[in-house]
Amino acid sequence: MAFVFFPTVYAVYLSFQSHGGFSLGNYEQLTYFNLGGAILDTVGVTVGALLIQLALGFVVASVLAREFIGKRAVSTISIIPMGIATVVAAVTFSFIFQSSGGYANTVIHGLLGTQVNWYSNSIISLLVVMLADSWKNTPIISLILLAGMTSIPRELYFSAAIDGAGPVNRFIHVTLPNLRSFIGVALILRGVQEFNIFALPLILVGDHPPLLTTLVYNLYTTTFPEVGLALAAATVLLGFILVFIGVVLKLTGGSR
Amino acid sequence: MKWSYLGAAFVVVYFLFPLYILVLLAFNSPRYTLFAKFPSLLPIQLTLNNLESALQGSSFVDPFVRSLETATLVGVITLALAVPAGYGLSRLPRSIAYPVLTLLLVTNMMPAIVVGIPIAVEFVKLHIFETVQGLSLAQTLVTLPLATFILQGTFSSIPRDLENQARVDGADLLHRLSSVLIPLTGPGMAAAFLISWMFSWDEFTYAILLLPYHSTLPVTIYTDVTRGNLLAGVAFSLVFTLPVIVLTFALQKYLKGEYLSGGIKG
Repeated sequence: MAFVFFPTVYAVYLSFQSHGGFSLGNYEQLTYFNLGGAILDTVGVTVGALLIQLALGFVVASVLAREFIGKRAVSTISIIPMGIATVVAAVTFSFIFQSSGGYANTVIHGLLGTQVNWYSNSIISLLVVMLADSWKNTPIISLILLAGMTSIPRELYFSAAIDGAGPVNRFIHVTLPNLRSFIGVALILRGVQEFNIFALPLILVGDHPPLLTTLVYNLYTTTFPEVGLALAAATVLLGFILVFIGVVLKLTGGSR
Repeated sequence: MKWSYLGAAFVVVYFLFPLYILVLLAFNSPRYTLFAKFPSLLPIQLTLNNLESALQGSSFVDPFVRSLETATLVGVITLALAVPAGYGLSRLPRSIAYPVLTLLLVTNMMPAIVVGIPIAVEFVKLHIFETVQGLSLAQTLVTLPLATFILQGTFSSIPRDLENQARVDGADLLHRLSSVLIPLTGPGMAAAFLISWMFSWDEFTYAILLLPYHSTLPVTIYTDVTRGNLLAGVAFSLVFTLPVIVLTFALQKYLKGEYLSGGIKG
Protein backbone atom coordinates (compact mmCIF):
# COMPACT_ATOMS: atom_id res chain seq x y z
CA MET A 1 0.00 0.00 0.00
CA ALA A 2 2.80 2.33 0.92
CA PHE A 3 3.95 1.24 -2.50
CA VAL A 4 1.05 3.15 -4.11
CA PHE A 5 0.48 5.98 -1.68
CA PHE A 6 4.08 7.06 -1.58
CA PRO A 7 4.29 8.11 -5.25
CA THR A 8 0.95 9.91 -4.93
CA VAL A 9 2.02 11.93 -1.91
CA TYR A 10 5.42 12.49 -3.50
CA ALA A 11 3.69 13.77 -6.64
CA VAL A 12 1.69 16.30 -4.66
CA TYR A 13 4.83 17.33 -2.77
CA LEU A 14 6.85 17.78 -5.97
CA SER A 15 4.08 19.83 -7.55
CA PHE A 16 4.61 22.51 -4.90
CA GLN A 17 8.35 22.62 -5.50
CA SER A 18 9.92 25.06 -7.86
CA HIS A 19 13.01 27.22 -7.77
CA GLY A 20 14.29 25.01 -4.96
CA GLY A 21 11.58 25.68 -2.42
CA PHE A 22 7.91 25.62 -1.62
CA SER A 23 5.96 27.75 -4.05
CA LEU A 24 2.75 28.01 -5.98
CA GLY A 25 4.71 28.90 -9.10
CA ASN A 26 3.73 25.74 -10.95
CA TYR A 27 0.06 26.39 -10.36
CA GLU A 28 0.35 30.01 -11.51
CA GLN A 29 2.04 28.89 -14.72
CA LEU A 30 -0.61 26.26 -15.20
CA THR A 31 -3.31 28.87 -15.70
CA TYR A 32 -1.63 29.82 -18.99
CA PHE A 33 -2.41 26.37 -20.38
CA ASN A 34 -6.20 26.63 -20.46
CA LEU A 35 -6.57 24.75 -17.19
CA GLY A 36 -10.15 25.93 -16.74
CA GLY A 37 -11.21 24.57 -20.12
CA ALA A 38 -9.51 21.26 -19.42
CA ILE A 39 -11.32 20.94 -16.08
CA LEU A 40 -14.70 21.76 -17.64
CA ASP A 41 -14.17 19.29 -20.49
CA THR A 42 -13.02 16.55 -18.12
CA VAL A 43 -16.07 16.97 -15.91
CA GLY A 44 -18.29 17.10 -19.00
CA VAL A 45 -16.86 13.90 -20.46
CA THR A 46 -17.14 12.15 -17.10
CA VAL A 47 -20.78 13.07 -16.56
CA GLY A 48 -21.77 12.47 -20.19
CA ALA A 49 -20.02 9.13 -20.47
CA LEU A 50 -21.44 7.93 -17.15
CA LEU A 51 -24.97 8.84 -18.24
CA ILE A 52 -24.61 7.06 -21.59
CA GLN A 53 -23.09 4.01 -19.92
CA LEU A 54 -25.73 3.81 -17.22
CA ALA A 55 -28.54 4.08 -19.76
CA LEU A 56 -27.04 1.46 -22.07
CA GLY A 57 -26.05 -0.68 -19.11
CA PHE A 58 -29.69 -0.73 -18.02
CA VAL A 59 -30.82 -1.72 -21.50
CA VAL A 60 -28.30 -4.54 -21.73
CA ALA A 61 -28.96 -5.76 -18.20
CA SER A 62 -32.74 -5.77 -18.67
CA VAL A 63 -32.36 -7.77 -21.86
CA LEU A 64 -30.08 -10.30 -20.17
CA ALA A 65 -32.31 -10.53 -17.09
CA ARG A 66 -35.01 -12.21 -19.21
CA GLU A 67 -35.06 -15.73 -20.52
CA PHE A 68 -34.85 -16.27 -24.26
CA ILE A 69 -33.28 -18.63 -26.75
CA GLY A 70 -29.65 -17.75 -27.44
CA LYS A 71 -29.20 -15.93 -24.15
CA ARG A 72 -25.83 -17.53 -23.49
CA ALA A 73 -24.45 -16.34 -26.82
CA VAL A 74 -25.75 -12.81 -26.28
CA SER A 75 -24.31 -12.58 -22.78
CA THR A 76 -20.95 -13.78 -24.07
CA ILE A 77 -21.00 -11.19 -26.85
CA SER A 78 -21.91 -8.51 -24.35
CA ILE A 79 -18.62 -8.90 -22.48
CA ILE A 80 -16.33 -8.89 -25.50
CA PRO A 81 -15.58 -5.14 -25.38
CA MET A 82 -14.14 -5.62 -21.88
CA GLY A 83 -11.41 -7.68 -23.46
CA ILE A 84 -10.66 -5.21 -26.26
CA ALA A 85 -7.68 -3.01 -25.48
CA THR A 86 -8.51 0.66 -25.05
CA VAL A 87 -6.04 1.53 -27.76
CA VAL A 88 -7.70 -0.83 -30.21
CA ALA A 89 -11.12 0.59 -29.39
CA ALA A 90 -9.76 4.09 -29.94
CA VAL A 91 -8.20 3.19 -33.29
CA THR A 92 -11.41 1.53 -34.47
CA PHE A 93 -13.56 4.48 -33.47
CA SER A 94 -11.15 6.87 -35.14
CA PHE A 95 -12.02 5.12 -38.41
CA ILE A 96 -15.72 5.18 -37.69
CA PHE A 97 -15.74 8.89 -36.89
CA GLN A 98 -13.58 10.92 -39.23
CA SER A 99 -13.59 14.61 -39.98
CA SER A 100 -14.58 13.82 -43.56
CA GLY A 101 -16.10 10.50 -44.54
CA GLY A 102 -15.66 7.48 -42.30
CA TYR A 103 -18.02 4.64 -41.51
CA ALA A 104 -20.49 6.65 -39.46
CA ASN A 105 -20.76 9.09 -42.33
CA THR A 106 -21.34 6.23 -44.77
CA VAL A 107 -24.49 5.43 -42.83
CA ILE A 108 -25.53 9.07 -42.44
CA HIS A 109 -24.77 9.78 -46.08
CA GLY A 110 -26.79 6.77 -47.18
CA LEU A 111 -29.79 7.77 -45.08
CA LEU A 112 -29.78 11.55 -45.20
CA GLY A 113 -27.44 12.45 -48.03
CA THR A 114 -25.31 14.69 -45.85
CA GLN A 115 -22.26 14.22 -43.65
CA VAL A 116 -21.00 15.33 -40.28
CA ASN A 117 -17.55 16.60 -39.43
CA TRP A 118 -17.00 14.85 -36.11
CA TYR A 119 -14.20 17.18 -35.10
CA SER A 120 -15.64 20.53 -36.16
CA ASN A 121 -16.00 21.74 -32.58
CA SER A 122 -14.92 20.55 -29.19
CA ILE A 123 -18.36 19.45 -28.02
CA ILE A 124 -18.89 17.02 -30.87
CA SER A 125 -15.35 15.63 -30.66
CA LEU A 126 -15.82 15.06 -26.93
CA LEU A 127 -19.05 13.27 -27.80
CA VAL A 128 -17.04 10.90 -29.97
CA VAL A 129 -14.75 10.24 -27.00
CA MET A 130 -17.77 9.53 -24.80
CA LEU A 131 -19.28 7.14 -27.35
CA ALA A 132 -16.05 5.22 -27.78
CA ASP A 133 -15.59 5.02 -24.04
CA SER A 134 -19.16 3.87 -23.53
CA TRP A 135 -18.77 1.07 -26.02
CA LYS A 136 -15.75 -0.25 -24.18
CA ASN A 137 -17.16 0.13 -20.68
CA THR A 138 -20.87 -0.58 -20.85
CA PRO A 139 -20.23 -4.31 -20.22
CA ILE A 140 -18.86 -3.81 -16.74
CA ILE A 141 -21.82 -1.61 -15.78
CA SER A 142 -24.34 -4.04 -17.20
CA LEU A 143 -22.66 -6.94 -15.38
CA ILE A 144 -23.00 -5.12 -12.07
CA LEU A 145 -26.59 -4.03 -12.76
CA LEU A 146 -27.50 -7.54 -13.87
CA ALA A 147 -26.15 -8.95 -10.62
CA GLY A 148 -28.36 -6.44 -8.82
CA MET A 149 -31.45 -7.13 -10.92
CA THR A 150 -31.32 -10.88 -10.37
CA SER A 151 -31.19 -10.23 -6.63
CA ILE A 152 -34.54 -8.37 -6.62
CA PRO A 153 -37.29 -10.80 -5.55
CA ARG A 154 -39.85 -11.47 -8.30
CA GLU A 155 -42.71 -11.01 -5.81
CA LEU A 156 -42.00 -7.28 -5.64
CA TYR A 157 -42.75 -6.96 -9.35
CA PHE A 158 -45.85 -9.11 -9.10
CA SER A 159 -47.34 -7.12 -6.24
CA ALA A 160 -46.48 -3.85 -8.00
CA ALA A 161 -48.21 -5.12 -11.14
CA ILE A 162 -51.28 -6.10 -9.12
CA ASP A 163 -51.34 -2.61 -7.65
CA GLY A 164 -51.61 -1.35 -11.22
CA ALA A 165 -48.07 -0.14 -11.86
CA GLY A 166 -47.03 -0.20 -15.52
CA PRO A 167 -43.53 -1.11 -16.75
CA VAL A 168 -42.25 2.46 -16.34
CA ASN A 169 -43.60 2.79 -12.82
CA ARG A 170 -42.28 -0.60 -11.86
CA PHE A 171 -38.85 0.43 -13.12
CA ILE A 172 -38.89 3.71 -11.19
CA HIS A 173 -40.39 2.41 -7.94
CA VAL A 174 -39.10 -1.15 -7.74
CA THR A 175 -35.97 -1.56 -9.84
CA LEU A 176 -34.20 1.73 -9.19
CA PRO A 177 -34.48 1.84 -5.36
CA ASN A 178 -33.38 -1.78 -5.06
CA LEU A 179 -30.40 -1.17 -7.30
CA ARG A 180 -29.16 1.87 -5.40
CA SER A 181 -26.04 0.31 -3.98
CA PHE A 182 -25.25 -1.47 -7.25
CA ILE A 183 -25.54 1.78 -9.17
CA GLY A 184 -23.27 3.33 -6.56
CA VAL A 185 -20.62 0.67 -7.04
CA ALA A 186 -20.87 1.01 -10.82
CA LEU A 187 -20.58 4.79 -10.61
CA ILE A 188 -17.54 4.69 -8.35
CA LEU A 189 -15.79 2.05 -10.42
CA ARG A 190 -16.41 3.85 -13.71
CA GLY A 191 -16.43 7.45 -12.53
CA VAL A 192 -12.90 7.33 -11.24
CA GLN A 193 -11.73 5.70 -14.46
CA GLU A 194 -13.64 8.34 -16.40
CA PHE A 195 -11.66 11.16 -14.82
CA ASN A 196 -8.53 9.22 -15.72
CA ILE A 197 -9.62 8.66 -19.31
CA PHE A 198 -6.40 9.03 -21.25
CA ALA A 199 -5.65 6.74 -24.17
CA LEU A 200 -9.03 7.33 -25.87
CA PRO A 201 -8.91 11.14 -26.02
CA LEU A 202 -5.20 11.07 -26.82
CA ILE A 203 -5.82 8.97 -29.92
CA LEU A 204 -9.21 10.35 -30.93
CA VAL A 205 -8.80 14.08 -30.40
CA GLY A 206 -5.15 14.53 -29.40
CA ASP A 207 -4.85 17.73 -27.45
CA HIS A 208 -7.78 19.64 -28.97
CA PRO A 209 -9.58 20.13 -26.69
CA PRO A 210 -7.29 19.03 -23.85
CA LEU A 211 -8.64 17.01 -20.94
CA LEU A 212 -6.81 17.05 -17.64
CA THR A 213 -4.99 13.80 -18.39
CA THR A 214 -3.90 14.75 -21.89
CA LEU A 215 -2.84 18.13 -20.51
CA VAL A 216 -0.71 16.36 -17.90
CA TYR A 217 0.80 14.11 -20.56
CA ASN A 218 1.50 17.00 -22.88
CA LEU A 219 3.23 18.95 -20.12
CA TYR A 220 5.13 15.80 -19.10
CA THR A 221 6.55 15.10 -22.55
CA THR A 222 7.45 18.69 -23.26
CA THR A 223 9.16 19.41 -19.95
CA PHE A 224 10.63 16.04 -18.86
CA PRO A 225 12.67 15.62 -16.66
CA GLU A 226 11.31 18.84 -15.11
CA VAL A 227 7.94 17.51 -14.02
CA GLY A 228 6.68 20.19 -11.61
CA LEU A 229 4.20 21.67 -14.06
CA ALA A 230 2.77 18.31 -15.13
CA LEU A 231 2.44 17.29 -11.50
CA ALA A 232 0.59 20.49 -10.64
CA ALA A 233 -2.01 19.55 -13.29
CA ALA A 234 -1.98 15.98 -11.98
CA THR A 235 -2.69 17.24 -8.47
CA VAL A 236 -5.72 19.14 -9.74
CA LEU A 237 -6.94 15.90 -11.31
CA LEU A 238 -6.32 14.00 -8.07
CA GLY A 239 -8.35 16.57 -6.16
CA PHE A 240 -11.33 16.09 -8.48
CA ILE A 241 -11.14 12.32 -8.13
CA LEU A 242 -11.07 12.47 -4.33
CA VAL A 243 -14.06 14.83 -4.32
CA PHE A 244 -15.90 12.53 -6.71
CA ILE A 245 -15.33 9.45 -4.54
CA GLY A 246 -16.60 11.40 -1.54
CA VAL A 247 -19.75 12.61 -3.32
CA VAL A 248 -20.70 9.18 -4.64
CA LEU A 249 -20.10 7.50 -1.27
CA LYS A 250 -22.29 10.12 0.37
CA LEU A 251 -25.09 9.85 -2.23
CA THR A 252 -25.33 6.09 -2.07
CA GLY A 253 -25.33 6.08 1.71
CA GLY A 254 -21.93 4.46 2.08
CA SER A 255 -23.28 1.60 -0.06
CA ARG A 256 -22.31 -0.95 2.59
CA MET B 1 -41.09 -12.06 -25.43
CA LYS B 2 -40.85 -10.15 -28.68
CA TRP B 3 -39.12 -7.33 -26.83
CA SER B 4 -36.46 -9.69 -25.52
CA TYR B 5 -35.35 -10.62 -29.04
CA LEU B 6 -35.45 -7.03 -30.22
CA GLY B 7 -33.33 -6.04 -27.24
CA ALA B 8 -30.98 -8.94 -27.78
CA ALA B 9 -30.55 -7.97 -31.43
CA PHE B 10 -29.74 -4.40 -30.38
CA VAL B 11 -27.17 -5.61 -27.85
CA VAL B 12 -25.48 -7.89 -30.37
CA VAL B 13 -25.27 -5.19 -33.07
CA TYR B 14 -24.08 -2.54 -30.63
CA PHE B 15 -21.26 -4.65 -29.26
CA LEU B 16 -20.16 -6.26 -32.50
CA PHE B 17 -20.33 -3.37 -34.97
CA PRO B 18 -16.98 -1.75 -34.11
CA LEU B 19 -15.28 -5.14 -34.20
CA TYR B 20 -16.79 -5.79 -37.60
CA ILE B 21 -15.36 -2.48 -38.79
CA LEU B 22 -11.94 -3.47 -37.49
CA VAL B 23 -12.10 -6.76 -39.39
CA LEU B 24 -13.26 -4.93 -42.53
CA LEU B 25 -10.34 -2.53 -42.28
CA ALA B 26 -7.92 -5.40 -41.86
CA PHE B 27 -9.14 -7.62 -44.68
CA ASN B 28 -10.88 -5.39 -47.20
CA SER B 29 -8.76 -3.89 -49.92
CA PRO B 30 -7.67 -0.39 -48.80
CA ARG B 31 -9.34 1.03 -51.91
CA TYR B 32 -12.70 0.46 -50.23
CA THR B 33 -11.69 1.36 -46.68
CA LEU B 34 -8.88 3.81 -46.03
CA PHE B 35 -8.84 5.57 -49.38
CA ALA B 36 -12.59 5.78 -49.83
CA LYS B 37 -14.38 8.87 -48.64
CA PHE B 38 -17.44 6.84 -47.71
CA PRO B 39 -15.96 3.44 -46.91
CA SER B 40 -18.10 0.47 -47.78
CA LEU B 41 -19.89 -1.37 -44.99
CA LEU B 42 -19.68 -4.62 -46.91
CA PRO B 43 -16.69 -6.84 -47.61
CA ILE B 44 -16.03 -6.21 -51.32
CA GLN B 45 -12.52 -7.33 -52.12
CA LEU B 46 -10.99 -9.44 -49.40
CA THR B 47 -7.24 -9.68 -49.26
CA LEU B 48 -4.49 -10.79 -46.92
CA ASN B 49 -1.98 -8.30 -48.30
CA ASN B 50 -2.69 -5.74 -45.58
CA LEU B 51 -1.82 -8.11 -42.78
CA GLU B 52 1.12 -9.61 -44.61
CA SER B 53 2.84 -6.34 -45.34
CA ALA B 54 2.18 -4.99 -41.86
CA LEU B 55 3.36 -8.00 -39.93
CA GLN B 56 6.63 -8.39 -41.76
CA GLY B 57 9.73 -6.93 -40.19
CA SER B 58 10.88 -6.02 -36.74
CA SER B 59 8.44 -3.15 -36.26
CA PHE B 60 5.88 -5.72 -35.20
CA VAL B 61 7.94 -8.52 -33.66
CA ASP B 62 9.86 -6.40 -31.15
CA PRO B 63 6.87 -4.69 -29.50
CA PHE B 64 4.98 -7.99 -29.54
CA VAL B 65 7.77 -9.79 -27.70
CA ARG B 66 8.13 -6.87 -25.30
CA SER B 67 4.41 -6.96 -24.55
CA LEU B 68 4.61 -10.70 -23.90
CA GLU B 69 7.62 -10.25 -21.62
CA THR B 70 6.01 -7.46 -19.65
CA ALA B 71 2.66 -9.19 -19.24
CA THR B 72 4.21 -12.45 -18.11
CA LEU B 73 6.57 -10.70 -15.71
CA VAL B 74 3.66 -8.72 -14.25
CA GLY B 75 1.69 -11.95 -13.76
CA VAL B 76 4.63 -13.62 -12.01
CA ILE B 77 5.48 -10.69 -9.72
CA THR B 78 1.81 -10.22 -8.87
CA LEU B 79 1.28 -13.86 -7.92
CA ALA B 80 4.51 -13.97 -5.92
CA LEU B 81 3.32 -11.04 -3.80
CA ALA B 82 -0.43 -11.69 -3.82
CA VAL B 83 -0.31 -15.31 -2.63
CA PRO B 84 1.24 -14.47 0.77
CA ALA B 85 -0.86 -11.29 1.04
CA GLY B 86 -4.10 -13.08 0.17
CA TYR B 87 -3.32 -15.98 2.49
CA GLY B 88 -2.47 -13.67 5.36
CA LEU B 89 -5.63 -11.59 4.90
CA SER B 90 -7.83 -14.67 4.72
CA ARG B 91 -6.50 -15.87 8.08
CA LEU B 92 -6.87 -12.50 9.85
CA PRO B 93 -10.10 -11.59 11.64
CA ARG B 94 -12.62 -9.81 9.40
CA SER B 95 -12.41 -6.59 11.40
CA ILE B 96 -8.78 -6.22 10.31
CA ALA B 97 -8.94 -7.82 6.87
CA TYR B 98 -11.89 -5.80 5.53
CA PRO B 99 -10.48 -2.31 6.08
CA VAL B 100 -7.22 -3.46 4.52
CA LEU B 101 -9.05 -4.81 1.46
CA THR B 102 -11.07 -1.61 1.10
CA LEU B 103 -7.88 0.43 1.29
CA LEU B 104 -6.35 -1.80 -1.37
CA LEU B 105 -9.26 -1.01 -3.67
CA VAL B 106 -8.91 2.71 -3.00
CA THR B 107 -5.28 2.52 -4.07
CA ASN B 108 -6.55 1.33 -7.43
CA MET B 109 -8.39 4.60 -7.84
CA MET B 110 -5.20 6.66 -7.82
CA PRO B 111 -4.77 7.92 -11.36
CA ALA B 112 -1.95 6.19 -13.21
CA ILE B 113 -0.86 9.45 -14.75
CA VAL B 114 -0.40 11.02 -11.29
CA VAL B 115 1.44 8.01 -9.86
CA GLY B 116 3.42 7.39 -13.04
CA ILE B 117 5.27 10.69 -13.26
CA PRO B 118 7.12 10.53 -9.92
CA ILE B 119 7.84 6.87 -10.69
CA ALA B 120 9.41 7.96 -13.96
CA VAL B 121 11.58 10.47 -12.10
CA GLU B 122 12.72 7.78 -9.64
CA PHE B 123 13.29 5.22 -12.39
CA VAL B 124 15.61 7.59 -14.21
CA LYS B 125 17.69 7.82 -11.02
CA LEU B 126 17.61 4.04 -10.57
CA HIS B 127 18.49 3.44 -14.25
CA ILE B 128 15.42 1.31 -14.89
CA PHE B 129 13.60 3.97 -16.92
CA GLU B 130 12.88 2.56 -20.39
CA THR B 131 13.21 -1.08 -19.29
CA VAL B 132 10.68 -3.92 -19.30
CA GLN B 133 11.45 -4.71 -15.66
CA GLY B 134 10.67 -1.16 -14.55
CA LEU B 135 7.41 -1.07 -16.46
CA SER B 136 6.38 -4.44 -15.01
CA LEU B 137 6.98 -3.16 -11.47
CA ALA B 138 4.82 -0.11 -12.15
CA GLN B 139 1.98 -2.16 -13.65
CA THR B 140 2.08 -4.49 -10.67
CA LEU B 141 0.87 -1.52 -8.61
CA VAL B 142 -2.52 -1.93 -10.26
CA THR B 143 -2.72 -5.71 -10.55
CA LEU B 144 -1.55 -6.48 -7.02
CA PRO B 145 -4.64 -5.17 -5.17
CA LEU B 146 -6.95 -6.99 -7.59
CA ALA B 147 -5.05 -10.25 -7.33
CA THR B 148 -4.83 -10.00 -3.53
CA PHE B 149 -8.56 -9.47 -3.49
CA ILE B 150 -9.27 -12.53 -5.63
CA LEU B 151 -6.85 -14.78 -3.72
CA GLN B 152 -8.13 -13.63 -0.36
CA GLY B 153 -11.55 -14.86 -1.45
CA THR B 154 -10.18 -18.19 -2.68
CA PHE B 155 -8.15 -18.85 0.46
CA SER B 156 -11.13 -17.97 2.66
CA SER B 157 -13.24 -20.57 0.90
CA ILE B 158 -10.91 -23.39 2.01
CA PRO B 159 -12.09 -24.87 5.30
CA ARG B 160 -9.70 -24.28 8.14
CA ASP B 161 -10.09 -27.85 9.35
CA LEU B 162 -8.30 -29.05 6.27
CA GLU B 163 -5.32 -26.92 7.14
CA ASN B 164 -5.48 -27.92 10.80
CA GLN B 165 -5.45 -31.57 9.86
CA ALA B 166 -2.29 -31.06 7.86
CA ARG B 167 -0.85 -29.26 10.87
CA VAL B 168 -1.68 -32.22 13.11
CA ASP B 169 0.11 -34.44 10.63
CA GLY B 170 3.18 -32.32 11.24
CA ALA B 171 3.24 -30.11 8.12
CA ASP B 172 4.81 -26.69 8.62
CA LEU B 173 3.51 -23.53 6.93
CA LEU B 174 5.50 -24.06 3.73
CA HIS B 175 4.34 -27.65 3.42
CA ARG B 176 0.75 -26.69 4.12
CA LEU B 177 0.93 -24.04 1.42
CA SER B 178 2.60 -26.23 -1.16
CA SER B 179 0.72 -29.50 -0.68
CA VAL B 180 -2.71 -28.44 0.61
CA LEU B 181 -3.54 -24.82 -0.11
CA ILE B 182 -1.95 -24.12 -3.47
CA PRO B 183 -3.42 -27.18 -5.24
CA LEU B 184 -6.86 -26.29 -3.93
CA THR B 185 -6.58 -22.66 -4.96
CA GLY B 186 -5.46 -23.49 -8.48
CA PRO B 187 -8.42 -21.90 -10.28
CA GLY B 188 -8.22 -18.71 -8.20
CA MET B 189 -4.52 -18.41 -8.87
CA ALA B 190 -5.03 -18.99 -12.57
CA ALA B 191 -7.68 -16.27 -12.60
CA ALA B 192 -5.43 -13.85 -10.71
CA PHE B 193 -2.54 -14.55 -13.07
CA LEU B 194 -4.64 -14.20 -16.22
CA ILE B 195 -6.34 -11.00 -15.06
CA SER B 196 -2.94 -9.49 -14.28
CA TRP B 197 -1.63 -10.68 -17.61
CA MET B 198 -4.57 -9.19 -19.49
CA PHE B 199 -4.30 -5.92 -17.63
CA SER B 200 -0.64 -5.55 -18.51
CA TRP B 201 -1.28 -6.52 -22.13
CA ASP B 202 -3.83 -3.70 -22.39
CA GLU B 203 -2.01 -1.13 -20.26
CA PHE B 204 -1.19 2.14 -21.97
CA THR B 205 -0.57 4.94 -19.48
CA TYR B 206 2.39 3.50 -17.57
CA ALA B 207 3.78 2.10 -20.80
CA ILE B 208 3.84 5.47 -22.55
CA LEU B 209 5.21 7.25 -19.46
CA LEU B 210 7.89 4.73 -18.51
CA LEU B 211 8.79 3.06 -21.80
CA PRO B 212 8.20 5.81 -24.35
CA TYR B 213 10.64 4.89 -27.14
CA HIS B 214 10.84 1.11 -27.61
CA SER B 215 7.51 0.27 -26.14
CA THR B 216 4.85 -2.39 -25.89
CA LEU B 217 2.18 -3.02 -28.54
CA PRO B 218 -0.45 -0.52 -27.33
CA VAL B 219 2.01 2.37 -27.52
CA THR B 220 3.31 1.11 -30.87
CA ILE B 221 -0.22 1.09 -32.25
CA TYR B 222 -0.68 4.62 -30.96
CA THR B 223 2.48 5.91 -32.63
CA ASP B 224 1.68 4.08 -35.87
CA VAL B 225 -1.77 5.59 -36.09
CA THR B 226 -0.71 9.12 -35.18
CA ARG B 227 2.11 8.98 -37.73
CA GLY B 228 -0.24 7.94 -40.50
CA ASN B 229 0.92 4.33 -40.62
CA LEU B 230 -2.74 3.35 -40.53
CA LEU B 231 -2.76 -0.13 -42.03
CA ALA B 232 -0.01 -1.27 -39.68
CA GLY B 233 -2.00 0.11 -36.76
CA VAL B 234 -5.10 -1.81 -37.84
CA ALA B 235 -3.23 -5.06 -38.42
CA PHE B 236 -1.43 -4.81 -35.07
CA SER B 237 -4.73 -4.05 -33.38
CA LEU B 238 -6.27 -7.22 -34.74
CA VAL B 239 -3.36 -9.48 -33.78
CA PHE B 240 -3.19 -7.75 -30.43
CA THR B 241 -6.89 -8.33 -29.76
CA LEU B 242 -7.16 -12.02 -30.59
CA PRO B 243 -5.41 -13.47 -27.52
CA VAL B 244 -7.46 -11.21 -25.27
CA ILE B 245 -10.77 -12.33 -26.75
CA VAL B 246 -9.75 -15.94 -26.26
CA LEU B 247 -8.79 -15.20 -22.65
CA THR B 248 -12.03 -13.32 -22.04
CA PHE B 249 -14.01 -16.38 -23.04
CA ALA B 250 -11.84 -18.57 -20.85
CA LEU B 251 -12.31 -16.20 -17.93
CA GLN B 252 -16.02 -15.59 -18.42
CA LYS B 253 -17.08 -17.31 -15.23
CA TYR B 254 -14.73 -15.15 -13.16
CA LEU B 255 -15.92 -11.90 -14.67
CA LYS B 256 -19.25 -11.90 -12.89
CA GLY B 257 -20.64 -8.74 -11.41
CA GLU B 258 -21.00 -10.32 -7.97
CA TYR B 259 -17.34 -11.02 -8.06
CA LEU B 260 -16.33 -7.46 -8.83
CA SER B 261 -18.68 -5.70 -6.43
CA GLY B 262 -18.58 -8.35 -3.69
CA GLY B 263 -15.84 -6.78 -1.64
CA ILE B 264 -17.37 -3.31 -1.56
CA LYS B 265 -20.73 -4.60 -0.45
CA GLY B 266 -18.98 -6.50 2.33
